[in-house]
Amino acid sequence: MGNILVVDDAAFMRMMLKSILENAGHTVVGEAENGSDAIEKYKALQPDLVTMDITMPVMEGVEAVKHIKSAHPDAKIIMCSAMGQQGMVVQAIQAGALDFIIKPFQADRVLSSIEKALTK
Amino acid sequence: MASEEGVKDLLNSIIESVNQILSMELEIQSPKVFNLAVIQSEMAVLIGITGDVSGRIVLQGDSETFSKLGTKMFGMPLEGEMLHSCIGEIANMLAGKTSSIVYNKGYKVDITPPTIMVGQMQMYGFERGLSVTVRIEALGDINIILLLQN
Repeated sequence: MGNILVVDDAAFMRMMLKSILENAGHTVVGEAENGSDAIEKYKALQPDLVTMDITMPVMEGVEAVKHIKSAHPDAKIIMCSAMGQQGMVVQAIQAGALDFIIKPFQADRVLSSIEKALTK
Repeated sequence: MASEEGVKDLLNSIIESVNQILSMELEIQSPKVFNLAVIQSEMAVLIGITGDVSGRIVLQGDSETFSKLGTKMFGMPLEGEMLHSCIGEIANMLAGKTSSIVYNKGYKVDITPPTIMVGQMQMYGFERGLSVTVRIEALGDINIILLLQN
């Protein structure tokens, strides 16, 4: 079980993810609504894992992954985005994300990805 | 700016995306072309598409239909701000899937975060629009509008 930071600009999606994660026994230690907010919250909360959206105002998710990974190379980040085009997936993985989940997602897909990342 | 071929590919990709994301019994009507202001009845979400083909996608409908759609897709009743956020997310998924489909047709595009609009309004600032009504069985109608600038 892990302490997770959920990053998504949509309050509805944060609520959905929080519900999926908490029902599976994880703890959502924080929520952020853009990439810049995510960097600050990561620093303050030091979560075990981050779920990161891509299309967000202020700073998009791939940029935030690069910032977080450069300051915290061990950070575990899973992308969770509606932008599933191949180029975007490659960019996210190159930035340091461990997995890429395309919305709309199934709870099982999210949980298995998180479990795998947490045991790495 | 998008070529006629690009507009056609984008519109077809939007329709393909609607079928995949909503994954319900749908009746998709023929696109209607318009060039006057869109009068928005109750709720709408606007997402910009930028890149090799560009335009703005507007998902439009009434709160009752959107509420039923949210419940059907995510298994929970939604109202107020959470309903607005949910509609924004549905539009985000439609635009995201559209971008993946057009990418496979050779166009590189990006999408903007959704802008959610509630209440009556008129939209200006486009050259022409294409509107497609999607009849969702047992839920109601939503309109998907593609706004283009030449």
